[in-house]
Amino acid sequence: MDTAIDIALKFAAITVAFVVVLLIVAYTVLAERRVLGFIQGRLGPNRVGYGGILQPFADLLKFILKEDIVPDKSTRFIYFLAPVIATMAALMTMIVYPFGPEIRIPFTNITIPLVITHFDVGLLYVLGITSIGVYGIMLAGWSSNNKYSLMGGLRSSAQMISYELALGLSLIGVILLAGTLDLAQIVERQSAWHGMRWFILFNPLGFVVYLTAAIAETNRVPFDLPEAETELVAGFHTEYSAMKFALFFLAEYINMFTVSMLATTLFLGGWNVPFAEDIFGRGTFLFGLVSAIGFLVKVIFFLFIYIWLRGTLPRFRFDQLMDFGWKILLPLALLTIFITATLIFLFPNL
Amino acid sequence: MLALLFILFAGLGIGCALAVVAQRNPLYSAISLVGVFISLACLYVMLAAPFIAAVQVIVYAGAIMVLVVFVIMLLNVEQEERGRMRLKFLVPTAVALAAVLIAEIAFILVSVQEFRVTPTTAASDVGVTHSIGSQLFTKYLLPFEITSILLLMAIVGAMTLARRGGLLSPTARVIPGAQQFPVSLIDPNAAPDDLTPVEPQSTDEAARLLGVGYRDRDE
Repeated sequence: MDTAIDIALKFAAITVAFVVVLLIVAYTVLAERRVLGFIQGRLGPNRVGYGGILQPFADLLKFILKEDIVPDKSTRFIYFLAPVIATMAALMTMIVYPFGPEIRIPFTNITIPLVITHFDVGLLYVLGITSIGVYGIMLAGWSSNNKYSLMGGLRSSAQMISYELALGLSLIGVILLAGTLDLAQIVERQSAWHGMRWFILFNPLGFVVYLTAAIAETNRVPFDLPEAETELVAGFHTEYSAMKFALFFLAEYINMFTVSMLATTLFLGGWNVPFAEDIFGRGTFLFGLVSAIGFLVKVIFFLFIYIWLRGTLPRFRFDQLMDFGWKILLPLALLTIFITATLIFLFPNL
Repeated sequence: MLALLFILFAGLGIGCALAVVAQRNPLYSAISLVGVFISLACLYVMLAAPFIAAVQVIVYAGAIMVLVVFVIMLLNVEQEERGRMRLKFLVPTAVALAAVLIAEIAFILVSVQEFRVTPTTAASDVGVTHSIGSQLFTKYLLPFEITSILLLMAIVGAMTLARRGGLLSPTARVIPGAQQFPVSLIDPNAAPDDLTPVEPQSTDEAARLLGVGYRDRDE
């Protein structure tokens, strides 16, 4: 009976987390269009609801009502499977991120952790599931039976494989500092110094490498070669329409969100807010609330950087992209491991 | 509960494995193989070895199979035609080998029945990252280093194979300034280990340096 309750609770937690994340993702899309409009000196969508606040729902309705076109000569099964893999792989990593500390509901003795689950290899789990996400894009490109789609799929898989390497290596510095792969414990290790012992202080180069590789990993500007409109129409999702296109779109934005959460968790102290523990005391409701809000603020900061970059930078050429990944980013990532290891060797109780 | 999950993942693994060999489309086979790896990873998690499971997914499903799918996509392998068996002797061989395998499994099952060990319920740290790391860098350091040298050799070999060539065919055209050749490659009088780069500035010059006949195709 207890296991049944446990499973039901986990299920509820997953549902809540997914709904919150999907809402934030929907509003990221709106924020992107408004911020890009601001950067480019125009308004952006502001008609649906107050200041365009209902625009995401209007878009969703439109996606559902559009005609769903399947190319005649596509490989049917894989064509349907690809968006499912992309979205599923994007959503599955959500369960290991600690959104906040344990929180006690006021006037009761019930404490609930603001993390769905945590296990010994949380970080490796995230990397593994992320690497599965490549299949969604590759198979979409292959099964559409379209040259542009195929080129987009090939480019994106080559890009993701190349940058996954630098991404993984840039995280090793943090793992060395924390001594664990469990994301909840990595956050705990950063809560000293009044909640300001963030790993970015010891590993700033690793942070820069991670951020660059993460942008490439999510196929965003300036690394959005797989969907370069000027040469590939829309890349791997050229032949996708209606809700299937929406799923790819969703997967891209969820990936942005998870990558930002990982950056926050590993480098910016996760839910640690400076001096929050001194003011509210550990375990209180307010502490939990402030921490969770702090976490979301940090994540949204990264999302803003994504949008900012999109409004600022031009696109790389494909050979420049590969050169940059293998000849600059990868050696830099190796250098961060060397620096961090030296630091730990010199100051063992760091 | 655990038995149910085991049946689910084991069944999924066997089903995917059958699909790997039964499918005629190479891409379907590759995807089924990914399914096999993922169900194996799930079984590892159930055996309290999360690190192995994660590595299984990252290395096999996330890296090796991506390359396989990549190659299938690039080569545009057509669906294999049915009904054209070239190597007929393989069928009896396969049946014989399968019989041997089934006999082995039956033997193991029987011997397990004989020496029944009571399973321990105590949590072990065998599959945990920390214990794997400490063992790998102390007790098993030599095999670990030898494996890494093996991988290094593979990388060097791949580089050598991919970089072979550089000689021009008699009808090739050279973009001025675009190619660089080591002196030793193109000048027979230079020392064999002289790797000073030389940049031919015209097609004629490159052809002369390489000692190949050159003829303008537009003529």
